[in-house]
Amino acid sequence: MWLYILKRALQGIITVWFIATATFFAMHNVPGDPLTNDRAMTETTRANLESKYGLDQPITTQYLIFLRNLSRGDFGISFVQENREVNDIIREHFPVSAILGVLAVVFAAIGGVLFGALTALYRNRLPDYLIMFLVILGISVPSFVVAALGQLSLVSLNTLMGFTVLPVAGWGTVMHMLVPALVLGLSTMAYLTRLMRSSMLEVTSSDYVRTAKSKGVPPTRIFTRHQLRNAILPVVTVLGPAIAAITTGGFVVELVFAIPGLGRYFVEAVQQLDYTVIMGTTVFYGAFLVFMVILVDVVYGFIDPRVRLDL
Amino acid sequence: MTAGKENVDSGIPLLTVENLQVEFDTYGGTVQAVRGVSFSVDQRQTLAIVGESGCGKSVTVQSIMGLIPTPPGRITAGSARLRGHETLGRSTVGGKQIRGAEIGMIFQDPMTSLNPTMTIGDQIAEPLQVHRGYSASDAFTEAIRLIELCKIPEAAKRARQYPFEFSGGMLQRAMIAMVLSCKPSVLIADEPTTALDVTIQAQILDLMQELQKETGMAIILITHDLGVVARMADEVAVMYAGKVVEYGSADDVFYHSAHPYTVGLKEAMPMNDPARQHVLKPIDGSPPDLFAPPAGCGYCPRCPYAMQICSERQPQGHNLHGHHFASCWLHHAKSGRKPETIFFKDAR
Ligand SMILES: Nc1ncnc2c1ncn2[C@@H]1O[C@H](COP(=O)(O)OP(=O)(O)O)[C@@H](O)[C@H]1O
Ligand code: SF4
Ligand SMILES: [Mg+2]
Repeated sequence: MWLYILKRALQGIITVWFIATATFFAMHNVPGDPLTNDRAMTETTRANLESKYGLDQPITTQYLIFLRNLSRGDFGISFVQENREVNDIIREHFPVSAILGVLAVVFAAIGGVLFGALTALYRNRLPDYLIMFLVILGISVPSFVVAALGQLSLVSLNTLMGFTVLPVAGWGTVMHMLVPALVLGLSTMAYLTRLMRSSMLEVTSSDYVRTAKSKGVPPTRIFTRHQLRNAILPVVTVLGPAIAAITTGGFVVELVFAIPGLGRYFVEAVQQLDYTVIMGTTVFYGAFLVFMVILVDVVYGFIDPRVRLDL
Repeated sequence: MTAGKENVDSGIPLLTVENLQVEFDTYGGTVQAVRGVSFSVDQRQTLAIVGESGCGKSVTVQSIMGLIPTPPGRITAGSARLRGHETLGRSTVGGKQIRGAEIGMIFQDPMTSLNPTMTIGDQIAEPLQVHRGYSASDAFTEAIRLIELCKIPEAAKRARQYPFEFSGGMLQRAMIAMVLSCKPSVLIADEPTTALDVTIQAQILDLMQELQKETGMAIILITHDLGVVARMADEVAVMYAGKVVEYGSADDVFYHSAHPYTVGLKEAMPMNDPARQHVLKPIDGSPPDLFAPPAGCGYCPRCPYAMQICSERQPQGHNLHGHHFASCWLHHAKSGRKPETIFFKDAR
């Protein structure tokens, strides 16, 4: 097991290096640079600034400097926001994005498993049809629509009640987090529900569930001891990609609900070609996702004994 | 306890099945999977149910256990009585659970019949917790003892392993240990060795026989291997297209076969005995469509002895000798044919 974790960690580092390299060269191939903007600039000012940021160096040198700084965990200083370290931006805003994302993943996973099991239990009956209708909606409606609708219904709710049940936007308390996290996790929850449903149906008609019945095990115990754990396995395998989907989806939700997460900085940085901020946030997100995927795989190993030994 | 064939208690057989009929609703129509099956089995006795695949063997025994999925399945007639008490549609008889406590069942494919994410020990221990109120740790200790009893080496270590760490033969032993945990009075084995190597097959059958001697349980053994029947069975029921076409003691059915289908099965079976070497003769054709069962004998299109009446009317059952029974027009007085002279090699 430990050997496996070590192996996965090494693979992860290589993946992150790859992401960093690809982002670096992609960005330097985009026309323009961070110094290109509306303000007129004399040749000398421009040359001075370029040498200050190292932009006059050959690109391979820039790349090596970048890698050296990266290995020390130093992403440099923002071009656009004077004197603000990228590390500070991440430190300040990532926790907000992370809390939102984790909450959304938790909503999606719990909801997906619960509703999936429920639809399988009530297969081809009313609860099944109802939930599956909502699932199709949840999968096909894009997140910015869901976010706007979510906010709109919050407004209506507050007006109806005459006081603020849940804040419409902003950040700070648990109350601020609930609806954005739900909105953010919704399409993943729908996807996981569908997955859990088919997995549960497969397990229900499996030979080992028939064996459990033939042993006289009562249905509730069959459900908890034999069906749930096996049915959950496919859901756990897609949790890694699901986390990725939720994290990237977070940018939109943060904008709509005015949440001070990292997503906004990321989008703004891309618009302004703020090299260091783009690099910093991309590599950081990449590393975070790689870490989550490894974590999910290790957890999978604990649930499925067959994987545990192969590791 | 000693092995013996004496009748127990009041003379009623341990388990009696009478005129069992089971249907399935499918998109293609209603399948009459079991069409009036009767048999009985006593303590310490082994009944073999033989017949080609799809003839309703599994459905028959699963009905007794209440394992038929409803819908699509439906038991439309008949009864199954354990010590005289009806079991169909019930989960208990005389205060004891039927499934697991009174009747235990092992299945064809041990690889898929055990829960892949639960240890073998926990799975064997489970019936003890459910039916006997054992604590988890007591049940596990007992599970280790049962694993030993079923001759799996290193029982304590094996109990903590998962099914994927076992071979097919060892898994079937574990299944037997699991079924035995609550000392059922009937063990149903649905093709328990079909998925296993020949040498492993023999070991599993030996184990079942040995445990039967110790516990006195009745065994219903489903197989399509006549070699297994010869080795294990006291009684044999030959099934064809959802019906029992011949029934009797193993000797009667083997050496005084009274139904053309039984004869066909025997001729299709390879034999080890060089003195009785014969050319293998598979039965041509296929069983009738159970969506619309034929008016006459289901074996008619494949039967070398078929007569006019066979395709028109169902053959009646004929009691031949003792409780030897066959359902074939050849035994009717008016057929004018003596079945013995047609296909009995060893006339009685
Ligand atoms: N769940 C089911 N749904 C529909 N038909 C079934 C079902 N189970 C069994 N049958 C039908 O019942 C017949 C007998 O099956 P089975 O008892 O499994 O045969 P076997 O003698 O090989 O054990 C088959 O024709 C099969 O198509
Ligand atoms: S009833 Fe007729 S067709 Fe059926 S087995 Fe007997 S002889 Fe053959
Ligand atoms: Mg079968």
